[in-house]
Amino acid sequence: MDQTLEPIYKAVLIGDKDAATENVQAALDAGKDAGVILQKSLIPAMEKVGQLFEAGEYYVPEMLIAARAMQAGLGLLKPLLVDSDVKPTGKVVIGTVKGDLHDIGKNLVAMMLEGAGFEIHDLGTDVSPDKFIAAIKEENVDILAMSALLTTTMPMMETTIKAVDEAGLRDVVKIIIGGAPVTTEYAQKIGADGFAPDASQAASMSKRLVG
Amino acid sequence: MNTVVRKLGQIQASWDFGLDNMPSFDKAMQRVYAWYENEIIDRAPIRFMAHNAFLESETDTLYQMNPEQRKKWWFDAELQVENFSKSIDGRTFHAETFPVYFPNLGPDVYAGLYGAELEFGAVTSWSVPFVQKWEDSDKLALDLNNIYFQKIEELTRCALDQCENKFMVGYTDLHPGLDCVAAWRDPQQLCFDMIDAPDQVQRLVDLAIEDFETIYDHFDNLLKQAGQLSVSWMGIPSYGRMHIPSCDFSTMISPRFFEEFGLQILEREVQTMTHNIFHVDGKGVARHLNAILSVPEVHAIQWVQGVGDDLPIMQWVPFIKELQAKKVPIIVDLNLAELESFMDEMNPQGLFLWVATENEQEELEILKRIERWT
Repeated sequence: MDQTLEPIYKAVLIGDKDAATENVQAALDAGKDAGVILQKSLIPAMEKVGQLFEAGEYYVPEMLIAARAMQAGLGLLKPLLVDSDVKPTGKVVIGTVKGDLHDIGKNLVAMMLEGAGFEIHDLGTDVSPDKFIAAIKEENVDILAMSALLTTTMPMMETTIKAVDEAGLRDVVKIIIGGAPVTTEYAQKIGADGFAPDASQAASMSKRLVG
Repeated sequence: MNTVVRKLGQIQASWDFGLDNMPSFDKAMQRVYAWYENEIIDRAPIRFMAHNAFLESETDTLYQMNPEQRKKWWFDAELQVENFSKSIDGRTFHAETFPVYFPNLGPDVYAGLYGAELEFGAVTSWSVPFVQKWEDSDKLALDLNNIYFQKIEELTRCALDQCENKFMVGYTDLHPGLDCVAAWRDPQQLCFDMIDAPDQVQRLVDLAIEDFETIYDHFDNLLKQAGQLSVSWMGIPSYGRMHIPSCDFSTMISPRFFEEFGLQILEREVQTMTHNIFHVDGKGVARHLNAILSVPEVHAIQWVQGVGDDLPIMQWVPFIKELQAKKVPIIVDLNLAELESFMDEMNPQGLFLWVATENEQEELEILKRIERWT
């Protein structure tokens, strides 16, 4: 890896946000393109974080601080990415469904998706189908990502998908779902495009869906 | 005569407790006590009831309510106890299915006893994170006049007034450990804190366990004075002191962090109890089992495999067999359709089955099958 980019990669991996911002600034000062810094250090670092999580070497605290370091570095790049018309990997609207207030899983997915270059519109928790639909329309998103942690709130995923369909938006957006009670079979049954068992796999799946 | 049965007989002789709707109460207690010792006196113990069955029957009503109405529902002591009492009318309790009412304001109530505010949903409640800045920790103090403490006591006394010979009254769901700290701080923030501010986390851990015995003893004394056994939401009674340590938050953290922050709490909260059953809430918590079982006062575990793809029990047979080999008594929750396959694969040593059933006939048929399980 390029010697101006490797310190950024390492800083994100260990969750050092100060080092991440210092080294992103240093790379910019050295003339590195913002898009290159994103694609060649921040995104690969978050991919590695995802792999370490799937391997059981990183847990939620380690993922969170890595994501925080990534976001700190990305904060320096965003204005430059807009100026140079660098497109995100895709646009995602994400939320926990109506009646459900759990958010950690959803937050981790949002962070991993951002780390994979997606533009995120996080609607929070207890999100009604109407709110999801409004966001899909307003932000012109590629992916709708829904989370539910309870068997009692999981049916809202199906309700939301039906509402998206009735709003004439089903063909313009891919839908992925996740959360403890969710299974691949359930995702197929309700017409979702995919089920991701964890945040890292949500990011890989989303990249394939917009690919 | 089996040693467990003989010793228990002496204890039971000193208690005047029975239930009109559970004719085999004494025998059921013998099986429970044998299970704690990893022994079987005639068959494996079995409980017939779905987890949260009582609350889930009220869910539709609760979803229609606004937050104020929901809180009022949870706080209505007469209604709560009456609803429970009606739910068991006409029922005979078989096997090791004990009719237990426990006063319930949700698992974050322990955090609420120190000043956190609870919000009430349809099936559970949750705490509004209270420690936004570290200085807010200074406000954390156990308040026995606190609205939640007083309400738990009211629910308990109301139940004691109505329970005679019909149901047992237990104590509330107490979570003095990292779950309490997570409720005070917010679970995601606590994940950051473990790395960013471990000293502050330790301070909250110390606060979270400081008054545990004071709280437990208060309700234990109240119940014992009323002639009740020691029992809580699991519905597994003890003539001594029964507790359910747990750490659901630990599903998110490494074994290193559990050993650093969680183990000390567990070692403390089990000390004064005669029976401890650790609630293992899924495979994430199960990764800490070596540490959990390193505490000799953890007498048994409840294995909760989770939902979704984790729900089918047969995938967990190797895991359960490992625990059997270590002579750890385990509660196993499975559905009726899985029972035959499970029994074909397993021997009953150390197992306490929980099975949801539709009716009494089903229960009696299952009992006949369990009696032949060796």
